Parts: sequence; C-alpha cells; structure tokens
Amino acid sequence: MQPPSNRRAIVAFAAFAALAALVPTIPAHAAGTGTQQEVEGRLMCYCGCANLTIRDCSCGTAAGIKADIAARLAKGQSSDQVVAAYVSRHGEQIRSAPERSGFNLIAWIMPFAAILAGALMIVALTRRWQARGVAALPGPDTLAGGATASPADRETLDRIAREMRDTL
Amino acid sequence: MAEFGTLCLLLGLATAGWAVVASFNGWLGRSGSLVLSGERAVIATWGLVALAVGSLEYLIFTDRFDIEYVASYSNRALPSTYKVSALWAGQAGSILFWLFVLCSYAAIVVAMNRRRNRPLMPVVVTTLSVIAVFFLLLVNFMARPFVSLSQVPIDGLGMNPQLQNPFMAIHPPALYTGYVGLTIPFAFAIAALSTGQLSDTWFRTTRRFTILSWFVLATGILLGGWWAYVELGWGGYWAWDPVENASLIPWLTATAFLHSVMIEERKKMLRVWNMSLIIMTFLLSILGTFITRSGVISSVHSFTRSDIGPMFAGFLGVSVIISVGLLIYRLPLLQSEHRLDSFVSRESSFLFNNLLLVGAAFAVLWGTIFPIISEAVRGVKITVGPPFFNEIMVPITFGLLTLSAICPIIAWRRATPHKLLDKIRIPLGTGILAAAVLFAAGMRDVYALVAFSLCIFVVATTVMEFFWGTRARMKATGEPALGALWSLVDRNKRRYGGFIVHVGVMLIIVGITGSSAFKQEATAVLARGESFALGRFALRFEDVVSHDNPNLEFLGARLAVLDGGRRVATLEPGQNFYKAGQDPSSEIAIRSTLREDLYLIMSGFDPQAGKVTLKGYLNPLVAWIWIGGGVLILGSWFAMLPDLRDRRREAEARLRAAESYATS
Repeated sequence: MQPPSNRRAIVAFAAFAALAALVPTIPAHAAGTGTQQEVEGRLMCYCGCANLTIRDCSCGTAAGIKADIAARLAKGQSSDQVVAAYVSRHGEQIRSAPERSGFNLIAWIMPFAAILAGALMIVALTRRWQARGVAALPGPDTLAGGATASPADRETLDRIAREMRDTL
Repeated sequence: MAEFGTLCLLLGLATAGWAVVASFNGWLGRSGSLVLSGERAVIATWGLVALAVGSLEYLIFTDRFDIEYVASYSNRALPSTYKVSALWAGQAGSILFWLFVLCSYAAIVVAMNRRRNRPLMPVVVTTLSVIAVFFLLLVNFMARPFVSLSQVPIDGLGMNPQLQNPFMAIHPPALYTGYVGLTIPFAFAIAALSTGQLSDTWFRTTRRFTILSWFVLATGILLGGWWAYVELGWGGYWAWDPVENASLIPWLTATAFLHSVMIEERKKMLRVWNMSLIIMTFLLSILGTFITRSGVISSVHSFTRSDIGPMFAGFLGVSVIISVGLLIYRLPLLQSEHRLDSFVSRESSFLFNNLLLVGAAFAVLWGTIFPIISEAVRGVKITVGPPFFNEIMVPITFGLLTLSAICPIIAWRRATPHKLLDKIRIPLGTGILAAAVLFAAGMRDVYALVAFSLCIFVVATTVMEFFWGTRARMKATGEPALGALWSLVDRNKRRYGGFIVHVGVMLIIVGITGSSAFKQEATAVLARGESFALGRFALRFEDVVSHDNPNLEFLGARLAVLDGGRRVATLEPGQNFYKAGQDPSSEIAIRSTLREDLYLIMSGFDPQAGKVTLKGYLNPLVAWIWIGGGVLILGSWFAMLPDLRDRRREAEARLRAAESYATS
C-alpha cells in the first residue's frame, strides 16, 4: 500500500520531469536572432583559434564567411541551403552540432535517456526502500514508552535529539 | 643541472617503486617497519621530484637553451613571472608539475597520519605511489623534460603570447591542485575497500581534502574562463572545448559526491554509490588529463602518433579493472539496510540531485567523446560544438536549480506536505514575483526568465534557512539577532558554508544567463573622430597609441566611451607584436561594472588610411560570474573550518577508541 502523500509526490515528480523535458522544445531565445545569426551559429569556424561558431569567432576567416552567408541569404537561399552548401564543401565537421537524424540522433537522445533511466531506477529503489522503512517504523506509542524501541531506534532518536540541539 | 634533474627523476622512480613494494608487502605481512620505510620513501620521492622541478626552473631562469624544453617554452626576454609558469607551459613540464603536486599531497597525507588511520595508511601509500610511479615513468621515458639539443639556439622560441597572462599563470596550478587532490579521497576509498574497513573513516578523514580540491578545481575552471575572456578576444569565457570539458566533468561528479556522502553519514545508506562516485571522479580526472594530453579528440589517428596516449589509456584501463574489481569483491560488506521513511524527504531529493549532477557529467563527457564514436562507427568526422552543450545543459541546470531551491527545505526522513508547503511559500513566491517583475520590465527571453527566477528562488530559500535558524535560536536562547546568527553558523559551518556556496553558484548562473541571453555586439571601421554605437554607449576613436618594452610592441586605438553624451571611460584595445617573432595577439580592453562589461577588440589597423577595425561586445552581468566565484571560495573555506560538531565527533571517537581498548 502506498500512502496517499507518496502517490502525490510521484505525480508531482512526473509533472516536473515532463516540464523539464518540454523545456528543450522551447525555441532558442529570440534576442537578436535573425536568419543570418542562425546560420552563423550552425556553422563552426575552422580558423583553428578556438572551439567557436562563426557567430562567436572574431577572426578574419569568420568575417569572410559571415559576408558570404549574407550574400547567399540576399540571393534568396534558405538557411538550410546555405548550411548544406558549406557542409558539401567542408564536410560534416563544419556543422556546430550534430544533425538530429540518423546515427547522430544518438548524440542528442543519450544524455536524456540516461537521466530518465536513472530517474526510473531511483523511483523503483525508493519505493522498495520505503516499503522497508514503513514496515520497520515503530508506532509512536512504542517509542514514547522507550521500552520496546530497538537499539538502532534509540540511536536514531538520540541522533535526532542531538541534531535538534545543534540546529537550535 | 640537466643531468642532476634527470638523476633526481630516476632516483624518484626508484623510491616511489620502493614505496609501492614496501607498503604493499608491509600491509600483507603486517610489518610495521616495512610500512614505515614505505612512508619514508614517499617523503624521499617528494624531495627528489621537488629537486627535479627546481632544476628545471633553474635551467629556465638561466636561459639554458641547450635544453629542448627551455628552448621551446622560454626566451631571454620572458618576464620572470612567466619563467616560473614556463614550467607548465609544455607537455613534459606540465606532467612533471602534476607529479610534483601529487607527491606533495602524498607527503602531506603521510605527515598528517603518523598516528591516525594506521590500518588504512599502507594501502593509501601504495595507491598514491602507484600513481606516482606511472607519472614518473612518463617523465623518465616518454615526456622527458631534460632532453638536450644537439644544436643550441641563440634564443628560445618563447612562450605562446596568449599564455603570458597572470590568470593563465595560476590557472594550471589551481586546476592540478584540484584534480590531483581528488586522488586523496580515492586512495582512502581504495584502502577502505582493500582492508575491508568500510566504516565512514575514509571519507571523514578526507573531507577537507575533498572540499579543498573541489573548490580549487572550481577556481581553476573559473580562472580558465576568465583567461579565455580577457585573452582570446571573442567576448565569451566558455566554449565547451574538450580541454575545458575535461576539467568540468570530474568537478560535477565530485559535487555529487560531496552531497551524497551526507546521506551515508546520516543514514549509512548509498555506500556502494559513494565508493563508485569517488572512483569515477578519479578515473575521470585521469581521463581528462588523457584527453587533453593525447590529442585523441582532434582525431582518433593523432592518438597513436602521440607518445603518451597509449600509456594513459593503459593506466586508465588498469585503474578501472583494479578499482571496479575491488568494489565488486567488497559488495557483500558494503550492503547496507536501505530504508526510506518517505518519498518526500531530503534523502530522496539528494538522490535526484546526484542523478542530475552525474547526468550532467555524462552529458558533457558524451558530447566530448561523440566525435570519436562517430569517426569510429561511421568514419565521418563531426563536430559537437557549443550549441549542442548549451541546449543539453540548460534543462539539466534548471532541474538542478529547482532541486537546490527545494532540497534544503525538505526535512530529513519525512516531510509532510503541509509543512513543506508552509516552508516553500515564501521562497517560491519570491521566485514567481521575480519572474513577474522581470516580465513586466520587458524581459521576453524564456530561458532567461526561468533561470533568473529559479536563482532567486534558491537564494530566497537560502536566506530563509538563515532566518529560520536564527529566529529559532533567538527564541531558544534569548540571544540578540547577530549573536544568534553567529552561533547558528558556528555550530554547523558545513551546512551554512554549503549554503554560501549555493549563493555563489547562483551568482555565477545569473552572470552566465545575463551575458549569454542579452549579449549585444557591433563592428565598425573608424577614422579618427568617428564613432559607433553599442547598446546605450557611443564609442569615439580618438587616437592611435603605441608603446614598447623589451618583450613586445603594443599598437592600439584610444576610444572615448560616451554614455548619453557624457564621457565615462577611455579604453585602449590593441595588438601586441612580440619581438620573439610569434604571431601578434589581441589586447582586449574591458570596462567592467556590476551592470555590464563593455568589451573592445581592435582586430585591424590600416596605417595608410589611418582607420581601425573594431569589434565591441556588451556583456550584461558578466562580473557576477567572478564575484560568484569569490563567494563560492569563501563558502568553501567556511565549510572547511572545524565546528562544534566536528569537535564533539572527534571527542566521541576518542572515547570509543578508549572504551574498545579498555574492553579488549
């Protein structure tokens, strides 16, 4: 039997998890994002100075690419077309993040899959531990009497008393 | 001197080898004299490695360019501060320095435990010495710092100019002190597993080492970010570079460890998990060194070309086998009665905190190694760059923030919903109010709104914790407010130190959020007298400036910073031209206030036209990252100070020891 507060907690956790899973689907922030910056952010600079996207890199190579992107966009190419042009010239390495398809989808899914698996494990374990904890929990009368409390309980009670003393 | 250094390292290998043999056999054969001999060998190894470090520094300072390392990383004009840091500017030197830090820790541990933890010490010494032997093998045979050149150059190549920066001079020592320090709890964990003495001694004894390493590593990471910010000239501080990730990953697992040992202390639960966490942290710090030193990330193929890559891989493999083997062997002894009174309790919220911290470490590691996996599986090189990490880490960070707001409020054992609601009301209300105010003030960035309000939620929880505790003490003892506050924190420095650290982390997150969501940038080519706009500032190019010293020549632009027509500052971004012939480097000019950083780069100068090319960034709130770092350090120091509970616990331990002695 699950106490009701416990079921409520699990529901609350599930709601939280669902909310957390929704967050990545919120579109990337709007502040100053135009197609130009979007394309710049999707491409990596290959100047070798640091691990930066075209958007962040301030080297000469990046400046040239920015101008080229602007020219391509002005010609009416879509951002996907511009990125595709760069990928066909420089290989997949120029993408700043793996594509969300095929093999590369694993890159995106794995971290969240691992966390979800861990969360399920924690829920399963805590339920088992809790069943044990509830079974072992002595009634308040027994404890107040003190006579039937096991040494372990007494130790816990002592510790609680000590900690309460410490925090107060 | 080079011969002397080489000799010291060879002798050091011998003494460290002896430390392994003597301690291990002393432990197996219960021979006190062998154990003592092993401990002395640790001190001797430290002395010899220190002499080797001294020799290399001497060679650097005396401009001995017949030594390859000196010729590659120093030159005559290098300022003496950077001659000190030239020690860790290259591979051989940095491995020697790593070794030196490890040996220093080992010597301190031996000195501190002459009378304490005797049953554990032989295995602690064995573990630390095995690691020292590995690094000694590297500096003796693979990455040798004292190799001489057949043709002696007139001057050295000098240090990479970007490394000639005060932050870069202290960033590696901080990082290494943190990394290597985590070896100490690991060594004690291995000792506990080997001896079967699996009580909480191993982590209690090393608690201060763990906290010290944790915050020094954090400081190292932040200094690295600061360095990147002021030196690399792209207006940011963190690029999710594999080298940066390698330092963040063990820090995340160490953070998880610091939290979850609290459950073991109180409830004797999660013993296998805590062992696993500290083993994981150590292995990840070795993996980090391997990643940064072997070149495996840039390409799988460069790995086989690097000398030390296979050595590191081998060492890592052996470490995994031994530590995981020991852990499995001791599983029966580590079984503990896991009991939970309620799902809504501090215990279970800590489990989720651990899940997210380890999940974050995994996500960063996964992104860092995914290019290798892709290359191995598909034969296609791909990049996993900043956009990937930003997207993956934002939800995880939000989850962690939520937990750090709620965790401290949830009671141990069982929290009744009623009481929880009662306690959470004010902090949560503050967070929601903050979101409403920010929204009303015009903030429409969803990520930033969530991040800011969660941070405020956490800070409100923390403030309320101090408030509730103080109020309870005032009622109980009748002390005045300040006195009550002090005796509250004095009695449990760890808890309140931890809260201060939380506030520090929140400030860091506020800084990161502000500077990434609301960054503005502008580029301009200006002639004298012209100006360009950046946010609310106007920047007017006034003049060309230049100056000269023996090491370099500086050429820059003087700009007036105008805020609403009023001159508020003068900035001089420019470029350094090094006389040793390296490529010029950008010298960034920053006007930093609590509100925002104005960040200027001069990327080009055309002497004929007299025009400068400038790039400017306006980074809101970035200063709070560094302030948050300071708060984090303060909180950690405070948590390390001995408090009443420690003193009482030590007294109890002494009493127990005396009792067991009397009864036996």
